[in-house]
Amino acid sequence: MNGISKNFGPVVALDQVDLTVEQGHIHAIVGENGAGKTTLMRVLYGAHPANEGSIELNGQPVNFRNPEQAIRSGVGMVSQHYAIIPELTCLQNLLLGAEPSLIINQRDAESRATDLATQMGFQFNWNQPANELSPGQAQKLEILKLLWRNAKILILDEPTAMLAPEDADLLYAKLHELTQTGATVLVVTHRLPDVMEHCDHVTVLRGGKLITSVPVSQTNPSQLAEQMIGVSVTQHTLTESHPGEPILTAENLTILGDKGQDAVKSASFVLHQGELVGIAGVDGNGQRELFHALMGLQPFQGSAILEGQNLRDLSTQQRIASGLRLVAEDRHHEAVIESWSIVENASLGLHRLQDLKKGLGVNREAQLALATAATEQFPTKFDNIRQAFRGLSGGNQQKVVVARALQQNPRAILAFQPTRGIDLYVADLVYRELIEATRKGITALVVSFDLDEIMTYCDRILVMNHGILIEVPPELRHDRQAIGRMMVGATP
Amino acid sequence: MDQILNLLASTSGISITTLLLSTLAYSSPLILCALGGLFSERSGVINIGLEGKMLAAACATAFVGAASQNPVVGLSAGIGIAILLSLLHWILTQVYQIDHIISGMGINALALGGTSLVSKTFVELGGKDAAIFPRELYYLAAWVAAAAIWYLFRSTRPGLRIFAVGNDPDKSRQMGLKPLGIRLQSLVMTGVLTGLAGALIATNAGRFSDEMTSGRGYIALAALILGGWKPWPTLLAALAFGFFGSLQLILQGRDLGGLAVPGEFWQALPYLITLIALAGMLGRNRAPAGLGQP
Repeated sequence: MNGISKNFGPVVALDQVDLTVEQGHIHAIVGENGAGKTTLMRVLYGAHPANEGSIELNGQPVNFRNPEQAIRSGVGMVSQHYAIIPELTCLQNLLLGAEPSLIINQRDAESRATDLATQMGFQFNWNQPANELSPGQAQKLEILKLLWRNAKILILDEPTAMLAPEDADLLYAKLHELTQTGATVLVVTHRLPDVMEHCDHVTVLRGGKLITSVPVSQTNPSQLAEQMIGVSVTQHTLTESHPGEPILTAENLTILGDKGQDAVKSASFVLHQGELVGIAGVDGNGQRELFHALMGLQPFQGSAILEGQNLRDLSTQQRIASGLRLVAEDRHHEAVIESWSIVENASLGLHRLQDLKKGLGVNREAQLALATAATEQFPTKFDNIRQAFRGLSGGNQQKVVVARALQQNPRAILAFQPTRGIDLYVADLVYRELIEATRKGITALVVSFDLDEIMTYCDRILVMNHGILIEVPPELRHDRQAIGRMMVGATP
Repeated sequence: MDQILNLLASTSGISITTLLLSTLAYSSPLILCALGGLFSERSGVINIGLEGKMLAAACATAFVGAASQNPVVGLSAGIGIAILLSLLHWILTQVYQIDHIISGMGINALALGGTSLVSKTFVELGGKDAAIFPRELYYLAAWVAAAAIWYLFRSTRPGLRIFAVGNDPDKSRQMGLKPLGIRLQSLVMTGVLTGLAGALIATNAGRFSDEMTSGRGYIALAALILGGWKPWPTLLAALAFGFFGSLQLILQGRDLGGLAVPGEFWQALPYLITLIALAGMLGRNRAPAGLGQP
């Protein structure tokens, strides 16, 4: 790819980027959110046409106008959000868009699919509805879909984001086998350990510009991190915590999931003053239900006590008044109203607290003061504090949501993926603020699917697997492999 | 059920054969129309305009059949107008992204007014008998269509693609499918089948009269919902509506040996069930997941 530029309206997403990828390599594209990684890949496989530049494939100039043309030339991409339709069976998902013939011979297709899966060391029950697939299996199905279409160049966007470390290692091993047979793999990622361990070559993008492209053997993680961010960041070092009185005590919490199963099974934990506790685990293992139940969004069995008050007796509004705060997982559905202003969103949920209430309405001055404080806590970019929330970038929206949880004397903060969609630099800031807040006598519980993040910042680590919550013993606190094994239910 | 049949046989001398034939006559347009709706809704396009398409097709079949005295021309006109209305629905909902319900209502209103205008304009032609195909052909077509659709969705490429687009147009697009095109094809099939349904209604009556479909497009829609958007269950649901509908025709005005059921009850029964089904009380949850999505 030579001199690729891409604008979205006035925004320059890619500025004269060159990229050369050798056949048989696993080539990593790294960069921060908004660096242009995904955009570059989408240009390559035809989803966005470039404004400028040219692409050559095996020495031939190509110009893909849409993904179908790209896949016909052997270029395919697995996006971060899988294109698997839950109502279809696994086989139907595999075939869709690339059916072998007008009339589909079920048995033929199934045996060809099984052959392909066996080659990769995967196993599928082809007539199983796709909604029953785990994130790991779905990822595998997506890769098989590309192979079914004879892709020779596979682009994977954050392939390990949803996988436990062991599954991630397995995936890379299989990708290596694929490259032995002449395939080429492009991996978009922000996880430097993956790059160092599994990739041959790495390209760094920042702000839509090419920063460097080097063999992995000639670089190191801290150099890459610096190139990604543009300034050198020091690795966060844990300060010792001095846990005080318990703030939130949960005993034998059992919570039903949306399919009637026990999503959380008899979970017990205590959060003390002065500590940041992390829950590690793969998405969908009960983290969501746990947070919803604590916040009063769904019922639970067992007991949960917040500083002497039984949560069961409190409505969600009363829980907020008692100092419980949630940084919700799904920002658009659970945390903000996008058509409202930044001011209104910054106090959303806190608006019935004593300081903000004025009769039946809201104290406008206090509301504005709170919004100003929240947007200053993390440097948030906006034109006007009264503008619609929608106009903020995803990263800036998330900053407001996290800052809101820190306002008005919180006692216990429940944060679900608090750094989702924000830059490394701000992510670091978010965690530092959370840690600082806990040191002043509150407590915080964080769910993250990024084990490195949890290991870097949290004082204590809990692991959640299939609804079972266990604590990582202090002696294994820094053992990534051991925690990884606990995440999939194996003995550490 | 047995009791009713016995009662029928003993009190009014209605044979089971009569009842079956009448059920077939009443249900076949429902089956064709519901299967037409199945194509549309499986591809993700809500279609409450079945009634209008059917009415327009009945009108065109009767008047063109009368004018040309050629059954092929008459039927073609019926199917043709239903396809045109279907395409109008496609343009409104897919190209201009108008709400599917509004577009469907509009088409029903258009058909109602349009056919009434035609019948008032060509009064003389309306009195003539139209050239028609034997109705048994339509009965056969209804069952063949159900079998064909079952096969289409079970093991063919177009079937899989319609199913995928109806469940998740966005992800289908990512897989290289073109929802717009697939829905166009589906809606043409909706036109063909509702056209056949309308032609059959005209055939059964011999000539056109205003509002002659009398809400059967909605009953067909109810059958489709009751049948869970699957061809055979939909056919069965339409048969059931047909059975009760014909029972009503036969029982009306007859003495049922002291059973004091007002005729209006029988008349209202199919509509009552339709209302309950359309209100979503009988399993809206099995609907195609992408229904109504752009």
